[in-house]
Amino acid sequence: MLAPISWLKDYVNINVSPEVLAKKLVSIGFEVEEIIYQNKKVSNVVVGKIEEVNQHPHADRLRVTQINVGSKKLQVVTNVPVVGGEVIAVALDGAALADGTVIKRGELRGVLSEGMLCGLEEVGITVDDVSGQTAGDILRFGDDVMLGTPALDALNYNDVILDIGVTANRPDCNSIYKLAKEVAVALDTTCREPEINYTTTGGNISDLVSVEVQNSELCPRYMAAGVKNVKIFPSSQKIKSRLRAVGIRPINNIVDITNYVLTEIGQPMHSFDKRELEGGKIIVRNAKDGEIITSLDGKENHLDSSMLVICDSSRPVAIAGIMGGLNSGIKADTAEVVFEAAKFARDNIRRTSRTLGLRSDSSSRFEKGIDFASQEYAMKRALTLICESGSGEIVDGILDVKVDYVKEREISFTIQKIRDILGCSVPKDKLISILARLGISVREENKTLIATVGEDREDIVGVNDIAEEFIRVYGYRHIKPTLFKYASLTSGVIPKKLQVIDKIKDTLSSFGLNESVTYSFTSPEFADKLHLTENDTARTAIRIKNPIGEALSVMRTTLTHSMLETLAYNITHFNREASLFEISRVYLAKELPLENLPYEEERLCIGAYGDGVDFYTVKSALEEVFDALHIKAEYVRSKREFLHPGRGADVVVNGNVVGFVGEIHPRVAKEYGIDNVRLYCAEISVDKILARDNLEKSKFKPFSKFPTIERDLAVVVDDSTNAAEIIGAVTGAKIKYLDDIRIFDTYKSDQIGRDKKSVGISFSFSSLERTLTDDEIAEQMSRILSVLKRKTGAKIR
Amino acid sequence: MKEKLDGIKLAALALIENAVSTAELNDVRVKYLGKSGEISLVMRDMANVPKEERPAMGKLVNELRSVVENALNEKNAILAIKEEEQKFKEEEIDVTLSATGKRLGNLHPLTLIRRELIDIFLSMGFSVDEGPEIESDLYNFQLLNIPKDHPSRDMQDTFYINDNILLRTQTSAMQARIMTNQQPPIRVVVPGKVYRSDDDASHSPIFNQFEGLAIDRHITMGDLQGCLQTFAQKIFSSDTKVRLRPSYFPFTEPSVEVDVTCAMCHGKGCRVCKGTGWVEILGAGIVNPAVLEMCGIDSNEYSGFAFGFGIDRIAMIKYGIPNIKMLYENDVRFLKQFN
Repeated sequence: MLAPISWLKDYVNINVSPEVLAKKLVSIGFEVEEIIYQNKKVSNVVVGKIEEVNQHPHADRLRVTQINVGSKKLQVVTNVPVVGGEVIAVALDGAALADGTVIKRGELRGVLSEGMLCGLEEVGITVDDVSGQTAGDILRFGDDVMLGTPALDALNYNDVILDIGVTANRPDCNSIYKLAKEVAVALDTTCREPEINYTTTGGNISDLVSVEVQNSELCPRYMAAGVKNVKIFPSSQKIKSRLRAVGIRPINNIVDITNYVLTEIGQPMHSFDKRELEGGKIIVRNAKDGEIITSLDGKENHLDSSMLVICDSSRPVAIAGIMGGLNSGIKADTAEVVFEAAKFARDNIRRTSRTLGLRSDSSSRFEKGIDFASQEYAMKRALTLICESGSGEIVDGILDVKVDYVKEREISFTIQKIRDILGCSVPKDKLISILARLGISVREENKTLIATVGEDREDIVGVNDIAEEFIRVYGYRHIKPTLFKYASLTSGVIPKKLQVIDKIKDTLSSFGLNESVTYSFTSPEFADKLHLTENDTARTAIRIKNPIGEALSVMRTTLTHSMLETLAYNITHFNREASLFEISRVYLAKELPLENLPYEEERLCIGAYGDGVDFYTVKSALEEVFDALHIKAEYVRSKREFLHPGRGADVVVNGNVVGFVGEIHPRVAKEYGIDNVRLYCAEISVDKILARDNLEKSKFKPFSKFPTIERDLAVVVDDSTNAAEIIGAVTGAKIKYLDDIRIFDTYKSDQIGRDKKSVGISFSFSSLERTLTDDEIAEQMSRILSVLKRKTGAKIR
Repeated sequence: MKEKLDGIKLAALALIENAVSTAELNDVRVKYLGKSGEISLVMRDMANVPKEERPAMGKLVNELRSVVENALNEKNAILAIKEEEQKFKEEEIDVTLSATGKRLGNLHPLTLIRRELIDIFLSMGFSVDEGPEIESDLYNFQLLNIPKDHPSRDMQDTFYINDNILLRTQTSAMQARIMTNQQPPIRVVVPGKVYRSDDDASHSPIFNQFEGLAIDRHITMGDLQGCLQTFAQKIFSSDTKVRLRPSYFPFTEPSVEVDVTCAMCHGKGCRVCKGTGWVEILGAGIVNPAVLEMCGIDSNEYSGFAFGFGIDRIAMIKYGIPNIKMLYENDVRFLKQFN
């Protein structure tokens, strides 16, 4: 809400600087987002009268002028064709112009010039900001302006405007008058009311127009007044400057009065040209489906039956509370005007405005909420301004169609309750006097206080509201910090899932991976980029109805896509290597369109590229995680489309696939703009590994104090025999004394044979009781060899 | 015989004297003292020496043996030190070279701050909870006293999935979930992602909030201030001051904006706080009795406070991160900076 200080001063005396005023308003709950000085950068540009003009002795196009600026006379050389007697604006020696230029006295072609004549641009305004000036010309004034007056003052463009953030609970304060009331509270002073003073000239409003409200739920109040013998002319300079200061374009006296009242009282008004109201009727009703009205801005609006319209006997003439129809607006020859001041239901205006894509100062006020008191006040204020400006003759009477409403609310409370809420001492006299300043009267009955709240403060409904009204004026500095002084003792706990996630993060970061965080929504192209098959459930992504753009329009079903984008980002941003992980959710719809909340699955994703990074780097990161959580995972060759066919594994825990690890298929990498860099990824469901309820704690296992004996074995097996099969065969055979088994080498050569490979296996044996003998080990080694022969067809090399 | 012994002595001492390495010295030891060394042979020949001369001769040979042995040991000690020095010299490395190999990775600044926050609030008796990011209108708005088409919905630009399901705009949605499912005393914090369709230089459509809720008998605005002051002093610095300003949220009444003294200038005024000395960090208030009632908690018996703030913003203030978008770009040069 823009509030020119000069306008506020109509109702409240302000004798502090705008900065101090802003601070005071902030302290009572009105954030001042900006203090706008209309004339902020311009200084020493004043009104002067040209008393003499002479030709410059050395230049045909220059003139030497003598200018009277009140306190003195000065000589200015100019190329503007001025004549004696004209009143203009001149920048004095040392003047600052809007663009920062500083004017200095000096010689122009040998003649002293002590200033410069100024136009709109030099003082930083446009032809729309003020009246009576011409673009491209110098500023010109009438003879009535005192010489030496700052030019912007003379133009009425010298206001200081506060841009005040009005919170949604105070729609009443989207008005100058109500803000002035708050200013009075902030400055601990009194507030005057806008003047209501007009005379009517006979006739009867009922003869002019009738009002019928068919839907009083959407229109609880409708007031109409009439003006005859209307003269249409431009508003006064004061009204025009004020409207411009709050960003409204002046149009003519009638329209300007409605906008002025809208700003001053906060009540939107509308003016109809009476002759366009067929049948002399105003009917407030729901629109018919398919009904069409062209609004004042020239837009054709297709209405439906949820929307409220103002009609005459045959057609809509306004979309209620949003915009008037082009058909019934004020024109240059309008002779009779009907003013509307109504209350329309907030929600309905909001919905209609959204549906039609039509917004106005009026609709935005109605959306926030207008109270019942404003219509009558605004109407009388508008009539006062009609009277004051001589815009026409006011017809007797105001039509007022309204529902019953509660004028005042009573709230009972105790001082103790206020203390309980605030936790500070609450002096009763302070409380009562502060509430009185806010227009809330308090009386006491049987130790209970009863506050009476006017219906302009719809936000005050209970004792908590009373507490807030008190403390915002009394000051939060009176509240002293306590820490659960009278409340229960509680001990904080972290859910197991979060503990596990923390453990995974610690494990991976100590393994050298950096944590990344990416957006939860992505482009629907992700599925195609990942080459997912048509029936892949990961394609079932939830769509956002109003996304920022297509690229961020679906909720992700996999983290891999974001990870690949992140890896690609780092590659194209000159990072030679990156090893990253992210733990975030994916959003899995049970059905589409969504009827229930989806399953949000916690996933871990690892991604890496760079020198020394391969499949096993990522796999070992995963294995560290599984070790940290005491989980046993198996790896089986994966058939996922986005993985390198030979370098991808599905990760299996307790017989369930919980994710994958692998090298990204080069064709998929290309989809992300990456060529010739191998990308590695893993994605694991944290929820699935958590679902195992046997996430054990670490337990001590005894180890031998006798020597460990190592034995190596080299066997030849089929190329297709994998490490898991070899190790599985041995561990399945329950070999005595065997502590550990590792494959340390695989080797292929022509000697060994096609489709064969040599595998080097290392075994560690020990006993808790004694040193093992060579014979004991040899016996176990021969058992190992025979099980390998039987299970994997291994031959000793 | 004696001459022979003197000859051996001279020759041996000369060889020892001239030896330049412990290996060479070892050769000398073998030559004289080894199994078939010259002195050993003399000892063996003692059998041929007349019986009466044997004691004198034996003494001479033993003397010779110990002279040579001592000389060998002395020389060996010298050479061993020299050789060790030589070895160390050869093994010298450039200690200013950077270590290669694996480095620790770093947690994301949002995780670091989130953990710090959780620790702070755990110590004040708050538990941690999480909730759905895709949320129903009921929890995100209606139960928080924000009916459909209410103007305060304009405060937040909401991403909708459909008329009833949306991306939560605030972790406050969890307030309603917790209050409808738990009985007081409730003391919980909820960290999590929230979404608003705001995308410009200083906004990210996704950011992280940290919600706090305390419901019990006898909870006051003073407790809120105490709790927030403890938090601010722990997360920023112990001289941090907290200031409450009146504000409005539909689900708290009274509602406040909370400013803390600027962490950069400690309240003196700087570029970060635009010269005011204060930085706005969160919104809070006493839980609106209407919300308590809607969630099935007796507002006559219980009261509470709630607060919420942006984790991203705290991270930006603490680490001096200039732009929120950097948090989600994941450039490793960024990610490696925080620990």
